[in-house]
Amino acid sequence: MSLTKITDKAGLHRHLEAAMQLEHATIPPYLNALYSIKPGTNTEAFHILRAVAVEEMLHLTLAGNILNAVGGTPDMTVPGFVPLYPAYLPDGETDFQVDCQAFSRAAIETFLKIERPAQGATPGVDTIHKGRKRAHHNGHKRHGTALRARHVPGNEEEHFYSIGEFYQAIEEGLERLHAEMGDALFSGDPARQIGPEYYYSAGGGLMAVTDLASAKAAIRLISEQGEGVTDNIFDYEGEIAHYYRFEQLLLGRYYQKGDARGRPTGREVAVDWDAVFPIKANARIADFPEGSALRQGAEEFNRAYGDFLSLLTRAFQGEPALFVEAVGGMFQLKELYYQIMRQPLGDGTHAAPTYEIPHG
Amino acid sequence: MTTSGKDPALTSFEAVAGQEFDVVIVGSGVSGAVIAKQLGARGCRVLVLEAGSGNEITVADYEESVQRFYGSQRKDNNSAYANPRNAPMPRDYETRKLPPGASNTDGYLVQMGPLEIDSTYTRVLGGTTRHWEGKALRMLPDDFRMRSLFGQGRDWPLAYNDLDAHYRAAERELGVAGDVEDQQYGGLDFGPGYVLPMRKMPLSYLDRMIARDLDGMEVTLAGETFPLKVRSTPQARNGVPNPAYDEGRGYKPVGAVSTHQEDKGERCQGNTNCVPICPVQAKYDARRTLYAALETDNVQLLAWTVASRLEVDGATGQVSQLEFKTYDDPDAPGHRVGHVRAKVFVLAANAVENARLMLASDLPGSSNRVGRNLMDHMYLLTWALMPKPAGALRGPICTAGIEDIRTGAYRRHQAAVRYSIHNDGWGWATGSPYSDLEHLVEHENRFGAALRQGLIDRVSRQFLLDCMIEVLPDESNRVSVDPRWVDQMGNPRPVISFGATPYTLETAAFSRRLSRRIFQRLGAEDHTHYDPLAPGYVSHGGEGYVLRGGNHWAGTHIMGTSARDSVVDSTQRSWDHPNLYLAGAGSMASIGTANTTLTLAALCFRTAEAILAGLGTHAPAAATTGARA
Repeated sequence: MSLTKITDKAGLHRHLEAAMQLEHATIPPYLNALYSIKPGTNTEAFHILRAVAVEEMLHLTLAGNILNAVGGTPDMTVPGFVPLYPAYLPDGETDFQVDCQAFSRAAIETFLKIERPAQGATPGVDTIHKGRKRAHHNGHKRHGTALRARHVPGNEEEHFYSIGEFYQAIEEGLERLHAEMGDALFSGDPARQIGPEYYYSAGGGLMAVTDLASAKAAIRLISEQGEGVTDNIFDYEGEIAHYYRFEQLLLGRYYQKGDARGRPTGREVAVDWDAVFPIKANARIADFPEGSALRQGAEEFNRAYGDFLSLLTRAFQGEPALFVEAVGGMFQLKELYYQIMRQPLGDGTHAAPTYEIPHG
Repeated sequence: MTTSGKDPALTSFEAVAGQEFDVVIVGSGVSGAVIAKQLGARGCRVLVLEAGSGNEITVADYEESVQRFYGSQRKDNNSAYANPRNAPMPRDYETRKLPPGASNTDGYLVQMGPLEIDSTYTRVLGGTTRHWEGKALRMLPDDFRMRSLFGQGRDWPLAYNDLDAHYRAAERELGVAGDVEDQQYGGLDFGPGYVLPMRKMPLSYLDRMIARDLDGMEVTLAGETFPLKVRSTPQARNGVPNPAYDEGRGYKPVGAVSTHQEDKGERCQGNTNCVPICPVQAKYDARRTLYAALETDNVQLLAWTVASRLEVDGATGQVSQLEFKTYDDPDAPGHRVGHVRAKVFVLAANAVENARLMLASDLPGSSNRVGRNLMDHMYLLTWALMPKPAGALRGPICTAGIEDIRTGAYRRHQAAVRYSIHNDGWGWATGSPYSDLEHLVEHENRFGAALRQGLIDRVSRQFLLDCMIEVLPDESNRVSVDPRWVDQMGNPRPVISFGATPYTLETAAFSRRLSRRIFQRLGAEDHTHYDPLAPGYVSHGGEGYVLRGGNHWAGTHIMGTSARDSVVDSTQRSWDHPNLYLAGAGSMASIGTANTTLTLAALCFRTAEAILAGLGTHAPAAATTGARA
């Protein structure tokens, strides 16, 4: 999907659709890493990954709420909504691709790129901090390009260095359109909102979006939970940003309040990088023998995942109560995950869900 | 999520021994945690002593308990928790049928009978709320006036209405999910417009199946007719927050306790092992409150420490200091003895341990009531196979019950009762589903597909109805100590003497008859049987029953209006020792048909106000916050 500066409602819709796609695109890689951890081992790593994956679901839902609020139609069933991995993030971050791979240092390093902080609160000013630079030694080759690209005239393609900057562009677009149109911008049916009764976490829950203030609050929550646009390890609610959650795994220690970036001083995080199913990165159905139980299982997973997205779509399109049922479907997906990931492929790797979602 | 991103304020023997605090609290369970949080928030310097491990705060610590439960052969209600030899806890499997006159000294509790009680408690951070099921029912107004209304038991020195604001504070603190509309019976009054913090747990398939056939059935008792109805059970478990709570401000559920934010804690997923541990921290346990207390920075926690003796100034009756024993290794012999001073001492170690500590300190009270009036609910279990699969083993352990007979004029003659519909199959009564597997393999020689089908047929149709029966305060039911029986550290073990009276047994017999009628009405096959060799087996009116304990120990420092016949006043303050509070279910003058946790939490909010007033600090906001809801 290519994006240009938001100048009208259609452009805003396109950005929010991309936002949903973006939030969702992180979930398969996170889940693959999460469930590749052998059950009962790496409990701290498991919980860190799990907490982030759950919050990505929250962000996805918030993006859907904003899209609904401005009269758009969330649809997670369109072909291509789920990328084929390896994939670039749909916000135009072009300096790295995301793999669906086993829990490993390489996977966490990719996740750090996904959740990396914005480059600075002031557009065009590079305020990268030392700690962050160290953590991102691989990720900076092209950031200059990305930075310039962000401030091109309206009809040129946008690229963002980080998810935070992408949401900043959405927020600016919302403000611009609201200045032009007033509250008519928020023409969506409030009954379509998925409210806090359907999802919560005490670190910041789901909110209905009905006006500019709630839309901005939703964006703030997404941005701060993700990478901490304010450059703080802990956000305004005292919650630790995803970027730093992941970094704890590489640094082997928990962050505490008052810690400097890159120098956590809390308890040790024990990570056993070997207690992992050695799943094949970016596996495809074609990798599994035709007619095998494994292949059937992997196809069943893809169908079940497709059903999950359909149910979520119905929840967004006017049946919010289905949200709970959809989330309940994650239990089945988890069972299938373990069934599939336990299967060796004979080349030293194990199978993994492929996220090739059937359509029609 | 409860978290500060900071390691918790665990303190050490060296830092505490010989020091003075504003308030020292013995026990980190719900009573101690509520009081600590309220006092800490008002700037009091508080020390909390915990007999069990202090390594129970992070999600990884919690996970260890979950794994211990998964790996445990016996799934008893303490199986998730380490059982240190230096601070042991009762286990239900230690209970044995006693021959007349015999005693059982095998477990931590010394059981003198005549009725062997298989109740336990948990000596771990957060106390018995770690293993509790989470039912959070209020007591009925009648329960507070047993003597006046029914000529039985005792009246409380306070009325239901006096506790209303504190009940609200407790419902907020524990995060109760329930619908007030379903609680309109037996004189229960929540005040106009009040809603609970979260909506009710959805009724299980089994509940709805039973409601369809049962609602409207009538029961006559002592001339009064009660129409029965399946009603949702309020419980302290994360569900859907009610946006109408707190005058429309809503409620923000508290998730997992963690210093490191690995996880959020979730809403109930229906894992059905609330007892002994919720795998996703949807169930309230007192660590949530305790953690909030620690976050005030005024509360310190000394774990691995057993309070061993209260020392009293003979002239004033004031408690001058508390002796405690801290151990380094949970199991190996060896400990250090320290003392701590405080303006106010609070015993919040549960009804058995509070009495044990008082008696170990030679403080039976001027009324000689310490340890007496021991109460617990007696549970009669009845079970049957439904005609069709009923979805057993899904949902929290109970989502609904039958409440209509919780009070009535019949209480002049027999005990009150409420019934819970169990979503966990026959587990409590028979050890199902493990026992079903054994039965099908050993006795029916099934394997493969036939075994799988056999399990489905048998387990999914299981229906257990528990009958929770009131027990009155009786001075011969008691906790005592005896120098013959001490634990590894030399602390006296609790000696339990307990018997069931005809008042209770009459309701057991009534409930068995009623369960037969209910099973018939449902077309269910009655499988209830009572083994004469099982602990808790009693005969009444020519029939035998097995009574199980409810882990709702109460009454041992009973509340009253005078020092002559009670141990504490209506604020849980000791009549004899003006700077000592005995907190928890031990203060309750009756237990009605509600499990004790919500009521004792409410009492502890009241106690926190009294302590603050005594210390010259203004009362906390808790009760008024609750009242706003």
